This record gives sequence, structure tokens and C-alpha cells, in this order.
Amino acid sequence: MRPFELLEPSSLREALGLLDTADETVRPAGGGTALMLMMKAGVLEPSRLISLRRIEPAWAEISQSADAVEIGALATLSAIEHSGIVRSELPVIARTLRTLANVRVRNVATLGGNLAHADPHMDLPPVLIALGASVIIASRGAERELPVAELISGYYETTLASGELIVRVRVPKQFARFSAYRKITTRSADDWPALGVAVALDREGPVLREARIAVSAAFDRPLRLAAAEAVLRGASIDDEAVLIHAGDAAADEARPIADERGSAAYKRELIRVHVRRALRDALDAQGGTP
Amino acid sequence: MNDPRAKEPRNHGPQVGRSVPRKETHAKLTGTAAYVHHLVLPGMLHGKVARSRVAHARIRGIDTRAASALEGVYRVLTAADVGKLIPDPHYGPAFHDQPILAIDKVRFAGEPVALVLAYDPHVAQAAAALIEVDYEPLPAVYDEVEAMTSKAVVHEVLKPAGTFPDLKHLAGKRDTNIALDYHLERGDPAKAFAQAAHVFEHTFKTQQVLHLPLEPFVSLADPADERLTIHTASQSPSFVRIEIARLLGWPENRVRVQVPFLGGGFGAKLYIKLEALVAAAALIVRRPVKIALTMEEQFYTITKHAATLRIKSGVDSAGRIVARECEVWWNGGAYADIGPRVTQKSGFTAPGPYDIDNVSIASYALYTNLPPAGALRGFGIPQLVWAYESQADMIARAIGMDPLEFRRKNILREGRPQATGTPMRDAAIGQVLERLAQRMQWQAPFDRGSGTVRRGRGMAIGFKASISPTTSVAIVNVSADGSCHLLCSTVDMGQASDTAMAQIAAEVLGMPAERIAVVHPDTDVTPYDMATLGSRSTYHMGHAVKRAAEDARDKLLALAGELGVPPETTPIPDLFKKKYGMQAGNVIGMGSFVPAYAPTDHATGQSSNVTPYWMIGATGVEIEVDTETGVVTVTRMINVADAGKAINPAVVDTQLSGAAIMQLGFTLTEQMHFSEGQVTNPSLADYKIPGMLDLPAVIENEAVEANEQAGPFGAKGVGESGTFGVSPAIANAIEDAVGVRLTSLPITAEAVYRALRKAAGRPLDDE
Amino acid sequence: MKTIRFELNGEPVTAQVEPHHNVVELLQTMGLRGARESCGQGLCGCCTVLVDGLAVSGCLYFAAQLDGARVDTIERTEREGELDVVQQAFAECGAFQCGFCTPGFVLMTRQLLAHNPAPSEDEIRHYLSGNLCRCATYPEIIRAVQLAARIRKAGA
Ligand SMILES: Cc1cc2nc3c(=O)[nH]c(=O)nc-3n(C[C@H](O)[C@H](O)[C@H](O)COP(=O)(O)OP(=O)(O)OC[C@H]3O[C@@H](n4cnc5c(N)ncnc54)[C@H](O)[C@@H]3O)c2cc1C
Ligand code: FES
Ligand code: FES
Repeated sequence: MRPFELLEPSSLREALGLLDTADETVRPAGGGTALMLMMKAGVLEPSRLISLRRIEPAWAEISQSADAVEIGALATLSAIEHSGIVRSELPVIARTLRTLANVRVRNVATLGGNLAHADPHMDLPPVLIALGASVIIASRGAERELPVAELISGYYETTLASGELIVRVRVPKQFARFSAYRKITTRSADDWPALGVAVALDREGPVLREARIAVSAAFDRPLRLAAAEAVLRGASIDDEAVLIHAGDAAADEARPIADERGSAAYKRELIRVHVRRALRDALDAQGGTP
Repeated sequence: MNDPRAKEPRNHGPQVGRSVPRKETHAKLTGTAAYVHHLVLPGMLHGKVARSRVAHARIRGIDTRAASALEGVYRVLTAADVGKLIPDPHYGPAFHDQPILAIDKVRFAGEPVALVLAYDPHVAQAAAALIEVDYEPLPAVYDEVEAMTSKAVVHEVLKPAGTFPDLKHLAGKRDTNIALDYHLERGDPAKAFAQAAHVFEHTFKTQQVLHLPLEPFVSLADPADERLTIHTASQSPSFVRIEIARLLGWPENRVRVQVPFLGGGFGAKLYIKLEALVAAAALIVRRPVKIALTMEEQFYTITKHAATLRIKSGVDSAGRIVARECEVWWNGGAYADIGPRVTQKSGFTAPGPYDIDNVSIASYALYTNLPPAGALRGFGIPQLVWAYESQADMIARAIGMDPLEFRRKNILREGRPQATGTPMRDAAIGQVLERLAQRMQWQAPFDRGSGTVRRGRGMAIGFKASISPTTSVAIVNVSADGSCHLLCSTVDMGQASDTAMAQIAAEVLGMPAERIAVVHPDTDVTPYDMATLGSRSTYHMGHAVKRAAEDARDKLLALAGELGVPPETTPIPDLFKKKYGMQAGNVIGMGSFVPAYAPTDHATGQSSNVTPYWMIGATGVEIEVDTETGVVTVTRMINVADAGKAINPAVVDTQLSGAAIMQLGFTLTEQMHFSEGQVTNPSLADYKIPGMLDLPAVIENEAVEANEQAGPFGAKGVGESGTFGVSPAIANAIEDAVGVRLTSLPITAEAVYRALRKAAGRPLDDE
Repeated sequence: MKTIRFELNGEPVTAQVEPHHNVVELLQTMGLRGARESCGQGLCGCCTVLVDGLAVSGCLYFAAQLDGARVDTIERTEREGELDVVQQAFAECGAFQCGFCTPGFVLMTRQLLAHNPAPSEDEIRHYLSGNLCRCATYPEIIRAVQLAARIRKAGA
């Protein structure tokens, strides 16, 4: 690994100041896990890393209001996994984290890093998209909020401008919405997903009012599947056939990418099956525990 | 290594057959065990290798200027530098075909082209990336069957090494990629096929995989005192010494090879890997040099042969196999390594553990432009078993016979001649098969699942000959206080050989195994051993150790006689005290072992004694198939083996499941992917080995009650037997569950799903 | 070069580190052998160390970031020369072969049992899924974790 400079500012303000530069080789670091992998592989050679680890602890806090859970971007994935608030309000996130990377990585990796990295094989983005989450982005003197769906724009690409940091993630409380995530690995169980399927269903009595389906890993970035969502809108939750139709619609509209984890044709079949199963999981999980 | 804290049992009974705790327990559990990985010498340089990015090319020029100019770089070496020290810098156990650094030509992507030396490994790494090589591309060949006739020739000249007595006839053919062809003919196959009631012919394939020990290759050479000391993670220290001495034109005693613990080997760390490069570098710069490969670089160092196997069987109306023809093409990659030996040694077991009168075998070791292939836990056997045990079920199914019954009818029974003509001795094939069937409750009704989850089960049995003829030498050194050193060059890479060897010596000497300290391989001190490979140590070195201990014991008894004290009851320390007047002196016992062997006839492959013993391994599995996705889940795996009499039953158990789980990875998930000969997944992130969540819910192991009469205390090897049956057992279970047959490894979920779609008349079209 | 101060296995220490050095490199220059780099990618756990009581992959952790931290490695023993409950259980079950992965498994098992004194087999497998053992000593390791849990319970 090439030498570089490591700075550890003690406040967000200071960090934003250090990042306010046109120099593309200055990068923020959360847990540094993804950065370190890229630097070891020689695909990233920063001149300076601005570590966020020592900024105010508030940026790692998890809190709730009446209608949303707010997670600081510096919260580690294991802090989120074990948070009482997340477990009771957003159990699908706690469940997702259990098979995301491993204990040691989760102890270090941050939510901000997980989202900003924009590796299409990340597990959290599709879940957060299905849950309707947004990121709060800060830059020197400004703050903006953006749906997670609009954050990741391509293969390792985000809409973050240079000098911008993700500082918080806001996830609406789900109330009557039921959700599930399926991580599909095609090699060993500890692999990154070949396909991620997240669903969130709003129901009114026996009728599905709205469905959000987000898929990832088989694409260059996480995507919503509009046609499959449309099939579910207004359908009865007792209608098993509609789940099959939704799976078929998902398979028809998705354009998966072939790689060593599987051919495009096979991934399309996985989408068909796992969208249906994820919907089933979500319906079964109603009122269930994490 | 030895645990000085290990308490000796008060009333030690027999030492063999006891699950003695491993000698290295404390060191390994506290993280204090020493591996070459940790070794640092004063003034040491780190070497980083610049590697070829193309599979086959002539080298027009190597530009090392930018690398040399990088601050902190000590020296950059290419073949030109090596050639000044070693005029013919080619090495290898079967062929002297592998250059220390590429000379004029590269033959695979990943081949070492230059070496950068620096005190800071990060600097060396950065500099290695700056080396520019000008290549003139050559046509390349990657497939083993194509290599038979390809115009792309990997080696213009073939240079057999003549190291092994049984490979003396090796003289590869010019202008072909065939490093070795091995043939066996027995009976009259043509006639038998003509008369057979049924003839079956199938082709099977296995993929290229690799060992991936968690301690990657690492060697350190120290040129102090006008000699060379090589500290290396090697399974074959004696070979390293001889080969390095040969390259340098030095006497053996000027080269010293030391091996502490190995962080895994599995056949990867055999013969020469980094040792020649590190030795040359250290002698050129006259400083200690260490080269520690990364996980990625292991993918460019040694792998397991991909193979294509064609197998044709004639079966009579009663279900007896009357004729078998096997053709095997081994993809050896760019350098032969031990591939020719795999081709021959495994080749003759290609018809399986079956009693067949008419056999024809052709087995070819082929050069291709892929990373070299060598020995990996089973030495070619798992590839062969994949073919013959898959076909066994296919035949049984086709003739409407139960697969267990089919095997019972055909297996080799004690005393019957194997394909080479060598009679089977102490080979518990039938017993292993029956124990497996009992454990699986083969006759009992089986829950076949329903809906989208279908269940099935399958079994497979394989066998392996040992490596012969090979030599082992051991020394037992009894000190005046009655404690004892055992000196042998067997490498403990996790298989607990230190403990097993101590048990054997202790049994002879009538002392607890804990009292015997095992000296790790150091060629200045520990005597010759061919190598730690092929499950040979327990038998070969076990014999040598037993003889050395017997020699020591006889000398102690003679000493007692000389001193006129009762030989059986006088404590050892008293003998020394009486002899020397104080606590002083040693008694040294020596033992060596070379098993009997009759070379195979070149034309027919026949031999009256092709192996000192046979290893038998069988695996049965129960699986679930998700018919919507093709995902196969192994819910139960049973491994049964004939290990002779187990020296250490707990260790035998661990060896069986360890080998079987490794083979599970080779069956379901592991695969090296290539693009134009370049590995595209060279990391543990993209090459997936089994982890905790990939294990079958239930794993059972059994070593049958057996005895190898010729073995030390009835024992024989077991390190590989667990691998034999795994792959075909799973394929057989898949057919049992869902009626589709997979003939290529790995069996990915996608492959199963595609087969299901095809069987349903709706093949999955590619997009 | 930067000077950092941290607590290593209960002792205050000072070290000179380069920003691009990771924790394994640092610990090895300090003579510790227990954390080793193998995969270098956070997957195998051979490099496991505890930072402020939490397990991390030393291969993906900048040494400089240990400044002010409490670091524990496999070398830390409660009583000099004695194996703890987890190590005893690993010894009893023969839960290692080549030993390269073993310190990582022992440290992770301690963490698991500290959080979850009576883990189910499924919980054990999940918790340890980020530790690889190429010798595939997994069945013995699972048994060792279960045994350690039982010994701890009996001792409590
Ligand atoms: C062995 C292993 C297995 C893994 N398996 C999985 C898996 O199965 N599923 C999965 O989803 N993930 C997996 N991961 C990825 C893991 O989740 C990421 O490494 C992690 O989330 C990145 O977080 P970090 O805080 O370490 O990011 P960093 O490495 O610190 O940063 C990553 C990127 O984000 C930028 N960045 C960091 N913080 C911010 C911020 N607050 N605002 C803006 N930009 C920022 C950095 O500049 C960098 O470009 C795995 C990782 C490893 C090492
Ligand atoms: S070396 Fe760090 S996890 Fe493998
Ligand atoms: S014991 Fe060898 S890798 Fe685990």
C-alpha cells in the first residue's frame, strides 16, 4: 500500500472543512474497511484520508421521533444491529445485518460508508430503499436530504458532490408496513449476494395498498421494480396467485447482469422465485419478531 | 514441537490407539506457535514478485528502470541476474522445466518475471507494479483435450528430471504438450465389450481449484557463513535441500532447510515453490531475503488438475462389469510439477475398486498455458472417483439394479488382482461399503420430500495406492534422564504427525508419548524423508520411527546386559548413571524404511506389487434440492474409511471430516475462473471455500475396524481418504432426488437448475 | 511516522507507525505472533484482535487508529501460562489442525460467549461464519464452543 496522510478531525465541522477541496485524492473514511480493500488492491491511492471516527459522538447515535428512526452515519453496523430502537421499529434491518459481512466487519464498518461506497452488492441499500429511507447530506455550510434511491447512481457511483458527507439516515417508522429482505448467495453462504430482494408492503385490512420492491446485486445499482409493484397494488393478501404474478412481472422487467455468480438468465429466474418468496416472508412476518 | 506443560498420564498403558492430545496444543491455542510467516532476520530484504499478465508470449524486453529508481528499492532481479549465479536455473520434481524467473518466454499469466528487493515490503510491492515487460504474444492452449493436438506448444524442449526411480522412463515427446502418457492393458477389452450385454460410455469433467492454505507460501533464505539456510513452509525439506544443492552445484551439506509448523499444506507446499527464487536472491545480494506471497499469489503458484475423463464400461446381464476403458486427460498447466506422477500413480486406479478382468487405461499429463497443477489431497484420485462412481450409479440405474447391490457385486475382494495385477491386501473395501450402507440405513424407507423440496441420497467409494518406492529415515535419541528426542523430517502441517510419531516411538520404548520431544525438520539434524505427502507418513515414517525406537530399545537392553542389571526393570536414568558415573551420554537408535515395490511394465502397466497398502474411503450423503432454484443442501454426510488401525482415533476422525469438507468445497462452490488464461477471481472474496454455514447439518465419520498387517502397529494413511467419495455421492444423490445427472464439477445451483429445466423440456436460454 | 500510545494486553505501550501500516504489521513488529494476515480482506479472521473490547480484523484496521485504544490479543492470558475456558475446550475437542486460524476462532468464541452464554448451534455458525478454517476443523470447533459454554455455566 502506498503511503498517505491520515487525519482525524474531532468535529464534523472540521472534517467538512478538510474535505472542502478540489483534490480528488482526499477522501473521507468511516470504518475504512472498504477503503482499505480498495487501497490494498491498488485501485485507490488517496493522498489523504479524513477519518470521521473522532468527530462528535452524536453522529453515531440512533434515535427516534414519532414517525422516524434517525441513525447517525457514523453508527457501526453492529451498533445498528443490536440497537433496541432498530430491533423494535425496523426489525428487517436487524435481520439483514445478521448476514451482512461478518461480526468483525460490522464492528467497524459504518452506515455512511456502506451507503457511500455504492458497491452494488451491498445489502442495506435495497432494504433502505424499500423502507423509503433518506440520507441527510452535509457540506460546508449546507445540508440536504435525499431519498436513498437517488443517492446511488451507478456502479460505485453516488450523487454526492465532493466535500459532501452523509451524516444521518432517516427511516420512516413502518407501522402497518411489513417488510422482508432475502440475500441470495450462489457460492458459499458468506459470499456477497448474487441477488438482494427487499420488499415492503402497506396493507389496509386484507388489501395491499402499496408495495415497494427493491432489488440489488444483480445490477449495477439497486433498483425498484415498478411493474411488479403495480401487480400488487390493490390485491388481496390472501391471493397466492398474485404473488406469483408479481414474481413473473419482476423477472420480466429486470435486466440482470451476468458474472461469476451466475448467468443473466439464471439470475432472472432467481428474481422470479425470490421476489415471490420475499413477499411471502413479509406477509408471514406480520407482527413477527426480528 | 512439544508442550513442556503436557502432563504425563500416571499409568500409561498402550500409546498407540490412544487419543493423545496434540503436542502443539498449547502453542497453537495461545498463538505462540512459530511459522515461517513470523520469521524476521536482521538486515533482511523483502522480495515482491512481478508477474506475467499474459498467458503465453515471448519476452522482448523487461524494463526495470522505473522500479529500480523508486526510493527504497534495493535491487531488481530478472532471469539475467539469476543466470549468472545458476547457469541452468530450471527446477521441478518430474521435469526440470520451471525457470526461477521467466527466461525469454512466459507460459502462464501470473508467472514470475522479476523480483524486487527492498527493506520495506510496501516499497517492493509498489516497485513491482512499475516493471514493464514487452511481450510478443504467442497462441495459447488452455483445454487439456485440445492440448493433445494443439499447434500451440508450451515447451519446445522437454527435460525430464530423472529424480524418481519409477519415472526413469520419462522422456516427453518433442513438439507436443504431452508430458507423460501412461497405459495399462489387461485381458482383452475389445472382445469383452463385444460380448457385454450393455455398454456405457460417459465423459466427466472436473474444474481447476486450489489448496489455499491460510498461511500462504513463504520462504526465507539466509546466506550467512558461506552456506545457505532456507527457512521455508515446505512439506518436503529433504527434496528442497537436494534440489537447491543441485541448482547451485553444491554438496548437500552446504544447504540447510528448516521447517517449523506449516499453516496448512494439502500438497501445495511440495517440491520447490519459492525456495529456488529466495535462494538465488539471497546469494546474489548476500543478505537474508524473505518472500511471503499474498493470498492472491497462491492462485499463480500451484493448483489442482482440471481433468477430462472418458469412461466406457461393459456390463453382463447379471450386472457384473466385464470390461472398462478409461481415458484421462490431466490439465497440468505450464509446468509439470508432480503432474506426471499424478498421471501415472492415479492413472492405474482409474477403473475403480472393482474386479474387472478386461481393462484398458490411457492417462495423459498435458501442458497448457494455465497456472501449474500438482498434488492436492488425493493426488488425482478425487477426479477419478468422480468419474467411476458417477458412472456406477448411472449403470445401476440403467440396468435397474440398486446402486449398493451393484457395488457389492463388483468390488474387489481381498486377494483379487487390481487392474495392475497387484493382489488386494488388507483393503477393507467391502467392510467400508457395508458400514456406510448400515449407517445410511440404505434399506430403510427414505423421506423423498415434496413440493419444491426434494430429497435424495447417494454413496460413492474410492481407493488409492500409496506412493512407492520412497524412503524415510528416523533417529531416536534417548538422553540420560530417560527423556527422548525423535528426529524425523515429517512436517506437521496440522495432521498431528508429531503426536502420532511420538506415540509410535513411545509404544516401542514403553513410555508415555508426552515424554518424547519431536524435533522439527532441519536437514542439518533430521534425517532424510522423501516428503510429507500422499498420506504416506504414518506408514513410511511410522515404520522408520518404529525401527529407530526398536534400535534404541535394543541398545538400552544391551547396555543393561553389559552393566549386569535387570534389563526390564532398571529405570533408564540408572543405566546412564551406572555407565557414565553421572547423568551423561546418549543412546541413539536409527531406523529407515523403503517399502518393497515392483515397477510397472511400460507397455501393459502390470506389476506384482504396485503399492505397499491401499487407502479406502467412502462417503454417503443425504441432500435436499430446491427445484425452483437448483440449490443443493447437504443435510447429512457420512464418511467411512479404512485407515488400518488408528494410531490416534480422534485425529483420524478430524482428518476424515476435514478432507470431506474440503472436497465439499471442490464439489459445490470452488472454481478458478479464467479470462484468456488470467485468473479472474484470485482472492478469498471471489473464490469461495466452505465456511461454518456451508457445512452439512450432520457429519459422521467412521474408521472401520481394520488392520494393515504390514503397517506400523497395523496403521496406514488417512489424510486423503475423506475426499474420495464426496463429489460423486452428491451427484448420485441429486439424480436420486430429482432425476438429473450432472457430469461436470462444480455442481453449482445454476447447473442443477439448468439440468432440471432441460429435463422438463424447457431449457434455459442464455440472454 | 506518527507516535501512538495505547494499552496492549493491559500494558501501556508506545509505537511509531506509518499511516499505511495495518494492525497486524504493527503487532508483529512488537513481537506478537497471534494475529496473522492471511486473506487480507476481512474474510478469514486469522488477524482478529479486540479493540476497546470489540473484535476487528487487524488486516483492515489502520495501526494509527489504535491511538488511545485498549487492544487485546490472543497473547493476553488471565493467569500466566494457563489456558482459559475456551482454550481448554478447544484443546479437549481437538478443535484445530494447522493452527493458523486458531487464535481468531478462540477470540471470536470468547466474544460470542460474553454476549450469548448459551448459543444455539445456528447462533454459533452465524457468529463464526466470518472465520475460515481451510483445514475444515469446523465440527470440532462447534463442539468446543458448546463445551466452553457448558463449562462456563457450570463454573458460574
Ligand atoms: C469481508 C467483508 C465482507 C463484506 N460483505 C458484505 C456483505 O455481504 N454485504 C454488504 O452489504 N456489505 C459487505 N461488506 C461491505 C461492508 O459493508 C463495507 O465494507 C462497509 O459497509 C463500508 O463501511 P466503512 O465505514 O468501512 O466504509 P469506508 O471504507 O470508510 O468508506 C467507504 C466509502 O465511503 C466513503 N465514505 C465513508 N463514510 C462516508 C460518509 N459518512 N459520507 C460520505 N462518504 C463516506 C469513503 O470515502 C469510501 O469511498 C463486506 C466487507 C468486508 C470487508
Ligand atoms: S487476514 Fe484479516 S480477515 Fe483474513
Ligand atoms: S486449523 Fe488450519 S486453517 Fe484452521
